[in-house]
Amino acid sequence: MKLGDVRYLTKEGIKSTWANRLMTLASIGVLVACMVVIGLAVLISENGNKALGHLEKQNIVMAYMKDYSWALDMKTNADTADKTASEQTAASKSGNSSEKGDGAQDGAAAETPDENGIKNSDYVIHSDEEAKKLCKQIRKIDNVKNVEFISSEEGLKNVAEQLGKDESNKKLVMELLKDDNPLPRSAKITMTSMDEFDSTVKAIEELEGISNVRSQGDAAKKILSIKNGVQIAGIWMISILLLISLVIVSNTIRITMYNRKLEISIMKAVGATNSFVRLPFIVEGITIGLISAVISEGLLYFCYRVVTDELENVLGGAVIPFSHMALILLGIFAAIGTVSGVIGSSIMISKYLRKEGSEFAAI
Amino acid sequence: MSENVTDINSVQTNEAPVIEFKGVSKRYTNGTHALEDVNIRINKGEFVFVVGSSGAGKSTFMKLIMREEKANTGTIKVNGFNLTKMRRKQIPMLRRTMGIVFQDFRLIPKMTVFDNVAFAMHVVGAPSRRIRKEVTNALAAVGLGDKARSMPNELSGGEQQRVGIARALVNNPALIIADEPTGNVDPNMSYDIVSMLASINKMGTTVLMVTHDHQLVREFKQRVIMLDSGKIVADNTAGGEEE
Repeated sequence: MKLGDVRYLTKEGIKSTWANRLMTLASIGVLVACMVVIGLAVLISENGNKALGHLEKQNIVMAYMKDYSWALDMKTNADTADKTASEQTAASKSGNSSEKGDGAQDGAAAETPDENGIKNSDYVIHSDEEAKKLCKQIRKIDNVKNVEFISSEEGLKNVAEQLGKDESNKKLVMELLKDDNPLPRSAKITMTSMDEFDSTVKAIEELEGISNVRSQGDAAKKILSIKNGVQIAGIWMISILLLISLVIVSNTIRITMYNRKLEISIMKAVGATNSFVRLPFIVEGITIGLISAVISEGLLYFCYRVVTDELENVLGGAVIPFSHMALILLGIFAAIGTVSGVIGSSIMISKYLRKEGSEFAAI
Repeated sequence: MSENVTDINSVQTNEAPVIEFKGVSKRYTNGTHALEDVNIRINKGEFVFVVGSSGAGKSTFMKLIMREEKANTGTIKVNGFNLTKMRRKQIPMLRRTMGIVFQDFRLIPKMTVFDNVAFAMHVVGAPSRRIRKEVTNALAAVGLGDKARSMPNELSGGEQQRVGIARALVNNPALIIADEPTGNVDPNMSYDIVSMLASINKMGTTVLMVTHDHQLVREFKQRVIMLDSGKIVADNTAGGEEE
């Protein structure tokens, strides 16, 4: 087909869109409704992904080690418990207390506790080197993607960082806790897959030298399931809406064809090729689709803005700005419009192209 | 094939015929035998009337020539195309070699006279400059040069049919098929319409015209093919109707 033909037929298609403006308007209305719902599904899904991405960062698991600070902590807890118990039973169980004291003295015979009452054998990790060895062991566990050793000093710095932007606060914390750092050595662990989250955490916990593991796995899993749910529902919804779009465009083109059956019969009689007959209808379908895409984009912008203005107050900057999605959405809408225009009109025109001369009068 | 018909078709030239039917039969799915063993040869430059009562097979005969229908048996050749072996894709090319004039004019009401004629040229992909020139010439040839900007509903029946003839003529076809072109116009205008087709024929275009108007057939004294119950019962090359 020549360029001149394409120009002529495109003009004819656009003229026809205008000539059937009432039907065109009805089609645009339904298509816009479909596209806005599809756009909303995309926006919800993308915001869900963002939230999940944020939580997946939290999928970094902290494993704390049984080092001196852990032993000190254990001892403090044990002392508190002993003290409470001895206060409750002081009068009646004095004999037993002396027996217990003897036992403790037996254990201490081999090594001398320090000023805090901690012996070398009370904890497992004694140095940064041992801690790093433990990190290597963690790295060997399946599904562990990365392990970063965090010394007590670095841990303290991180805590100070989390206190905020005020430098004086950070300095104060660092100075107060510098000589009496309560933070144990730890390992910052990243996992490959959230699906094996529980088993990986269990494997880390079972390692000798790990006191406990902290994670936000439950929240991440919940978001993951919500996201999957939204995605599945979204796919179904989009599929159904695409089908509706196709039916709508097909129907409009069917009516246009009915109105233009005389032209089609003349076209065929004077030797028009099928592609020549088809093109104006496809142009009409695409025109309807593209007009709907532009209107949908504008409408969605206003809807999203109204909703996000309200949500901004609650969620802060957690919502994706429309401008980040505008081009993608316009692309999706244009694709839906074009595809439904081409397929919708093609389905209908094929039926007409099989007809000949007097058969048109019978339609 | 009857002996009679073979004799009638004996006027042959060395030139390839514009239309040739050999042993053509057409039976519709509902069982109707529309044409039976039809043999006919129409040469370049002939003017042929096709006559016959309703149900005689005239419409089927025309549809077969335009390849709207396909014969069950026999071979049909039109303007060098073998219609029995033709693929669907080639049909537009066949139709570009012929101009069709319809009984009901089939003008597009929302288009001007000029655009209605130009439409036939757009369809075959003619360039705009040529369209302007050829459409103007075709409208002048049918005496409607001054009505180019009129809408079809502003014209009389006769004028509308002349637009139809201009449209059939504009692509300079080798064959013009006129399906009862005078069926919707008054008798005076009918004469003008056939005169117009006759003058086009004089310029070398083969014309095949289906009609019920015996008066016209008698007046124009051209070859007449008479169909009855799907068979050719007469083919009078001498012109006029056999009584």
